[in-house]
Amino acid sequence: MRVQVPDRRQIRVRHLVPAFVVAGMAVVGLVTSAASGDSPRSAAGPPAGAISTPTTPVPAASLARPSASLARPSVRSPITYRTPTAIGQGGALYQTNCSSCHGPAAGGSSVAPSLQGVGAATIDFWVSTGRMPLANAATQATRKVPRFDRQQTLAIVAYVTSQGPNYGPGIPSVDTKSASLPEGESMFVLNCAACHTITGSGDALGNGAYAPNLHEATATQVAEAIRTGPGNMPRFGPGQLSDKQVADVVAYVTGPIKHPDNIGGLGLGGIGPVAEGFVALLFGVGVMMLMAFWLGERA
Amino acid sequence: MTDVKEGASGPGPEARHQTVPDDEMFPVASFDDPHLQPAAKHVRRAEGVAGLFLVIGFLGFAAYGASYWQNWSNVLQGAFLGVGLFAFGFGMSAWGKYLLPQGPFVEERHPNASTEAEVDAMAAAVVGRGAMMFRRRGFLGGILGAGAGVMGVVMAFPLLRSLGPVPKQSFDHTHWKKGSRVVDFNGKLVRADDILTGGSLTVFPEGYVGNAMDQTIIVRPTTSNVVTKAGRETWAPRGNLAFSKVCTHAGCPVGLYQEQTQQLLCPCHQSLFDVGQGRPAVPVFGPAPRPLPQLPLYIDAGGYLRAQGDYHEPVGPGFWERS
Repeated sequence: MRVQVPDRRQIRVRHLVPAFVVAGMAVVGLVTSAASGDSPRSAAGPPAGAISTPTTPVPAASLARPSASLARPSVRSPITYRTPTAIGQGGALYQTNCSSCHGPAAGGSSVAPSLQGVGAATIDFWVSTGRMPLANAATQATRKVPRFDRQQTLAIVAYVTSQGPNYGPGIPSVDTKSASLPEGESMFVLNCAACHTITGSGDALGNGAYAPNLHEATATQVAEAIRTGPGNMPRFGPGQLSDKQVADVVAYVTGPIKHPDNIGGLGLGGIGPVAEGFVALLFGVGVMMLMAFWLGERA
Repeated sequence: MTDVKEGASGPGPEARHQTVPDDEMFPVASFDDPHLQPAAKHVRRAEGVAGLFLVIGFLGFAAYGASYWQNWSNVLQGAFLGVGLFAFGFGMSAWGKYLLPQGPFVEERHPNASTEAEVDAMAAAVVGRGAMMFRRRGFLGGILGAGAGVMGVVMAFPLLRSLGPVPKQSFDHTHWKKGSRVVDFNGKLVRADDILTGGSLTVFPEGYVGNAMDQTIIVRPTTSNVVTKAGRETWAPRGNLAFSKVCTHAGCPVGLYQEQTQQLLCPCHQSLFDVGQGRPAVPVFGPAPRPLPQLPLYIDAGGYLRAQGDYHEPVGPGFWERS
């Protein structure tokens, strides 16, 4: 036999540099998006409204319903936060931080709704999650580091709720000791997973809105959100979810949702096939490509 | 060019110019041919690399066996198996790549064109034989054709008859009837004021909880009667507005109620339906072709919600027999 060795172009490492640069950028993007808790905003469109309105008045009949059981209610309202000193301190904080948009007596203005009567749970939810004071009025309010500590938040709540009669619920105190996780999961799947996804990672909705991820919510905040329905979230009253069911959902959210099993190792943010497919394509197919390069290379 | 008239692919052995002797043009391989040595320049190093990876593969498989038997975590089991398979494959490939002769090896071909006489004889034989076949075996050919025709017809029978029953009227109605009581997922009866303003609830007719075609979503934009279009004045008493939850696009449950924009969003393909006063769940975005059917409700003497009757059109995605 006569052996011919034709000219061949050796694959060198420098030929793969562009691929590595792209892959590196992709990995950085994946890590930063997984690390930031918020789910991505949906495509920008004209903003639905400047600031979300508080809950609208409801007939007294639905609020007159007594709480679930007298023996040991799962969700109770602590009463003693509205003291004169708290109202005074809250008033000062409110005038400095909130009155420019919400008016001097929480009566609202052209850029912000009235807060009179919305109830302690609403105020506490928006302030303790950091959504208020609002960062950007053109998009949905986003959770951020709260500006006030717990005592200051309660003071602001005391002040605003003292501006008139309240029709909204008070701050719930949730007792999850006897909560049922299976029942909580069932209620979560039925009512919450459609918007917040089955892993509680949040997802985009229509018109620039999104359902936030639940991994940073405390038990009180979850119960407040269920009962007051902030923003685009619907409201679940006692006629729909009893106090016991709310405690079950809170137990499920603060348990398996916040601390998922992830027996496969990496949860990748719990956002499903996009992230998982990305990893499979980048690393799995990438390694296969490198192997193919290596196998096909002439000695 | 003298070769054109012959029509063959190359010159025959008689036409070739004999400038190179045969045994030089077609040398025979020998045991000591330098091109049959391993491809690697440093054979010992290549052996070491292949051997190392094969050893890692061996250890990986052993570790996987241990982790499986001892029920260690999934991540460990997968890691050991993955490392074992990868290293083993890499070692085998390195053996084949570096320790075997690489080539390429080229073997010159002896001229193999046929002579003109051979070509003519073969052409005549093939054409003549082919024509004779048609004349002689016409009867058999006819039977073959008949059999193939019957096979073609019969193969279509499963398509025509065995694809399942024709739906006829079964898609036109749900289990909602006049007076059906509205219950939630736990079977609890729903009162007129159970849902607060801005709330939404998934309901079923009593006795059919969990039925996919019957699922209905009640949204409550206000506490006064909601009229979505003319003729539906009594359908949403005290603001309890009920729509079929089966998306008219592909049947996913439309469970995402946006309280402020008063819309229902389907999670599968993002069809957005406007609901509320004067808005009968018409799709404003996404692939849904028709509005969600609305279920007429009324409040009975005990304050519970009931259906006035079935939906006025078939629910869910379109189908062939849908009017």
